[in-house]
Amino acid sequence: MYKKVLSAVNEHLNSEIAARYALNLARMCGAKLYLCFIAEKGMPQQGISKAEDAIKRLFNEAIATGIQVEAITETGDVVEEIGKIVRHEGISIVFASTRREDIKKRFYAGTVARNLSLKLPCSVALVRVVHTGKIHPHKILVPLKARIDHIKERAYFTARMAECFHSRVFIFHVTKPITKFFHGEMHLTPAQWEKRLPENMKDFMEHLIRYEIAHEGRLAPGITARSITIEAAAKRHDLIIMGASERGLLSSIIKGNPVEDVLRETPCDLIILKPRHEVE
Amino acid sequence: MKINNLKKEEVLRNLVTSENGLTEEEAKKRFSEFGPNEIKEVKKTPLSIRFLKQFTHFLAILLWIGAGLALLSEYLHPGEGMLTLGLAIIGVIFINAVFTFIQEYRAEKSIEKLKLLLPFKVKMIREGVEKEIHAKDVVPGDLIILSEGDKVPADSRLIETTYLMMNNAPLTGESEPVPLQHEPCKGELVESKNIAFAGTTVVSGSGKAIAFATGMRTEFGRIAHLTSAVETGLSPLQKEIVKATRIIAFLATLIGVVFFSIGNIIGKSFWENFVFAIGVIVALVPEGMLPTVTLALSMGSQRMAKKKALIKTLTSVETLGSVTVICTDKTGTLTQNKMEVKKIWTVDNQQSTIHLLMKTAYFCNNAKFIEGQYKGDPTETALFKHVRENIGDLKAERISEIPFDSERKRMTTINMVDGKRFGFTKGALENVLPLCAYALINNEKTLINGKLKEEITHAYHSLMDKGLRVLSFAYSELSTPDSEPEKDMIFLGLVGLEDPPRPEVPDAIKKCHEAGIKIIMITGDGSRTAVAIAKEIGLAKGNPVAIEGHDFMKMGDRELREKLSEKEIIFARMTPKHKMRVVSILKEEGERVAVTGDGVNDAPALKKADIGIAMGITGTDVAKETADMILLDDNFATIVNAVEEGRAIYENIRKFVIYFFTSNVAELVPYIIYVLFRVPLPLTIMQILSVDLGTDLLPALALGAEKPTKDVMKQKPRTPKDRLLNAKVLSLAFLFLGPIEAAAGLFGFFYILKQAGWQWGEMLAANNLLYMQATTACLTGIVIAQVANVFACRSFRESVFSIGFFSNRLIFAGIVFEIALQLFIVYHPWGNAIFATSPIAAHIWLVLIPFAVVLFAAEEARKLIVSHRR
Repeated sequence: MYKKVLSAVNEHLNSEIAARYALNLARMCGAKLYLCFIAEKGMPQQGISKAEDAIKRLFNEAIATGIQVEAITETGDVVEEIGKIVRHEGISIVFASTRREDIKKRFYAGTVARNLSLKLPCSVALVRVVHTGKIHPHKILVPLKARIDHIKERAYFTARMAECFHSRVFIFHVTKPITKFFHGEMHLTPAQWEKRLPENMKDFMEHLIRYEIAHEGRLAPGITARSITIEAAAKRHDLIIMGASERGLLSSIIKGNPVEDVLRETPCDLIILKPRHEVE
Repeated sequence: MKINNLKKEEVLRNLVTSENGLTEEEAKKRFSEFGPNEIKEVKKTPLSIRFLKQFTHFLAILLWIGAGLALLSEYLHPGEGMLTLGLAIIGVIFINAVFTFIQEYRAEKSIEKLKLLLPFKVKMIREGVEKEIHAKDVVPGDLIILSEGDKVPADSRLIETTYLMMNNAPLTGESEPVPLQHEPCKGELVESKNIAFAGTTVVSGSGKAIAFATGMRTEFGRIAHLTSAVETGLSPLQKEIVKATRIIAFLATLIGVVFFSIGNIIGKSFWENFVFAIGVIVALVPEGMLPTVTLALSMGSQRMAKKKALIKTLTSVETLGSVTVICTDKTGTLTQNKMEVKKIWTVDNQQSTIHLLMKTAYFCNNAKFIEGQYKGDPTETALFKHVRENIGDLKAERISEIPFDSERKRMTTINMVDGKRFGFTKGALENVLPLCAYALINNEKTLINGKLKEEITHAYHSLMDKGLRVLSFAYSELSTPDSEPEKDMIFLGLVGLEDPPRPEVPDAIKKCHEAGIKIIMITGDGSRTAVAIAKEIGLAKGNPVAIEGHDFMKMGDRELREKLSEKEIIFARMTPKHKMRVVSILKEEGERVAVTGDGVNDAPALKKADIGIAMGITGTDVAKETADMILLDDNFATIVNAVEEGRAIYENIRKFVIYFFTSNVAELVPYIIYVLFRVPLPLTIMQILSVDLGTDLLPALALGAEKPTKDVMKQKPRTPKDRLLNAKVLSLAFLFLGPIEAAAGLFGFFYILKQAGWQWGEMLAANNLLYMQATTACLTGIVIAQVANVFACRSFRESVFSIGFFSNRLIFAGIVFEIALQLFIVYHPWGNAIFATSPIAAHIWLVLIPFAVVLFAAEEARKLIVSHRR
């Protein structure tokens, strides 16, 4: 499915680390890797040199791993230029790192990361790098909503990431506690919760079985974002892969935005996937 | 692959840094991307919002409706006193909110204490120059310089070390320094010897390290994250109160709607129905319940403090009573943490061998005797003391030391004794015996064969089966300074040390078993020692399931869940970081868990548990700040005493709930009479408030101070299905005690009216003297019946005479207050003005007393029947 993987690289260390996730995915999928640096107008020369150095390092790493790789350097607006490359080259998935200043913005609005995720015609994986010590993730946490689209692509992406790092996948669904008027919150044991696994989650797990990926599934009641970060911290997960938020601005203001909250508090690296393909 | 697996060059390449460190400009960039290197609390609901929530729960909403109706009726019918009532109800809402907030409030300072463990400034290399910068400015890729006494600012990969020894106690709880090195290590990052973790301290030596995780992404940050993010939710009592308020709200709405409709059908005016609606709400809501619960919990916490259990959150007082599992540490909690040498074993049992063994125990030891006191690790101190007391002080020059660490599980020193160089080793047998080629038998070096090995192992196991912590000892003669000290050693023997159980622990454990509470011991000792001690103190009777740390790590949640369902289970060779998993699984299975802890890394488990118990003597500040309760004497028996107190408090809360509801019924019935029959309203709404928030308060509080009954620790822990407001409680208050009390009030009301020649159906104005006297008599009837009711509510099954009529002095103080307040309401002009009462003749009181006697006698008769049936 992923024949051409593009990774946006800039002068920051986290973009280089994010690109390594792209590099590994490209290796697993036998895809061509595009390392792309877009210099915005007025960018200092030092920044340009740093980004070019990063591209060089990644390029060499890709060549050493036997990946077909191409480096592209352009000037202009990041979203616009990457959009052009994606359309021109027929890119399947774009990797870009999120920046700390992005997550500081309420509702993640107007950031390059969000614009890439919204405007590109291909799948987008936004990578938030927070821990530079866990180079290859051993334990990947995959929080899933009860209803998800593009199940096949999500499973494919997760499976390939797990495969390239020999990781174990932990699927996690946070649900609302069950309450009754006179009884208040009902306590269910994990065995009882297991019977309530959402259908989409079961589908996702079936796909992982097909890809022969070792995995576990768990359902727990609680507040979505908080439960995810606690699960990741308590069980020492190395990477979280979750879907991009589908909540609009108004809905985020009223109900909150779990993806945004996880972005802020994640104890390990995080990939937010916006899938746009469907596997045949 | 993790950073610990990489070579130095790979580390530098991966983090895009060099041995000259980062440039200032790059560091600035990384700072903007990774943020400051600091520990911070995760975002939580602000205190103000938490306070405001107290105004929006069901009971509060019901009262808001009542207040709204009162203010509306003031608008519609000014001058009827409804404004005062509306304001009074709003006052009640505020009082309830404040008291409930006090119950839940707790100052969260654990993160503050964690921050104190991190350095303020650090030395590092940037642009090839050594600099000192603020610790919060450290970024991934920074090259940190470590020297003696330095605190590590961020999780860092060592790239250079010179005899580097770290104190990892804040993270691992291990007091012994750990040697670190810079070579690549296999295995998990957290257990790696080439990683210096944030919050740890350099004991000796020096090194250079590259930071790879900062702030909340460090191991320290992980603890902080879990400690501040984990929320235990509502306590069992809070849940019960929520359920109770919903039942009250439901009843109030139901009764209100039914009688409002009846009133409409029989032609009551809108105004009369309006008054009725407000009356039902005020009558049914036990306005004094929440403040009384808070005060009772507060009194309970004071009683617990006297028993050396310091409670930090008021609701924890009751939560303790509901625990089903206690996960407890062994050393210092179940045992005295006073290690002493109990048994010395050698192959030949010769004095000369024992003497050499004792010498080894003395030289291979860091304990000291300073100013008449032994100082050092309890195990080393016990060995040192034993040798000093038996053969006196010994002299030798220590050349070097290979310190103890949890992986090697042994310690070796090289000493010069009488001009000769020796290597002395002590440690776990499985780590010492493989180093020994010989054993000293009858003053001769004897080659260790399979049979001898078996004999030694057998002796080792039998000592452990006696509950002793067993150390093995060996020595080597070093011919040259380069000789390997841990090679071809001569085995000397074994020493069994005992940490005696606390004398009160067996009884406390027996009490727990009778009370249906499961105890899980979590210890760093080996499983044989742990099982032996468990048997000695009565914690295990059969063959308990013993799980050691390494098996625990491999176990999946499902398997662990099954093991935890076993009746007797012990965790051996465990570290504090495993505790949270045990607590989480137990909680998921519906258990109510109490857990003990003292270290920084115990904090997440302490927070996750229903009751986190920190050790007052040995506990760190972080553990104490995170816990719900602090054991001032570190004693397990104190936990059991606190559980008993907690159970008593729940029973007592139920007692005063019945007490409150009885008067609520007596307050409600006059309103139903008022709607159904053409009679004046027998009790005004302000008079209801005078009972609920006045006369009832202190007697109810006195019920909250009842001592635990004899069988409180002989019952199984209450299940979540066991409600505070169950059918028995409701029927006792609504169908038995309440109607008698209502009869008392109504009798007083009609007695006054009839005496004055009142005719059925005759309506009286609110300021009519006769009407005011009649309502006063009604109120007095209820108050007098409540005096008897407070005795009736002192127990559920036993006669008040069998528990001791005078055993709770506070009851009498409460009654004195109740009567004094009633006298004020009836006879003082201020009381008359506020509550629209009027003085009544003394004989009216006498007329009402028989109702109190009937109530008391009826309840005693019920208890007698119930106890006979049992």
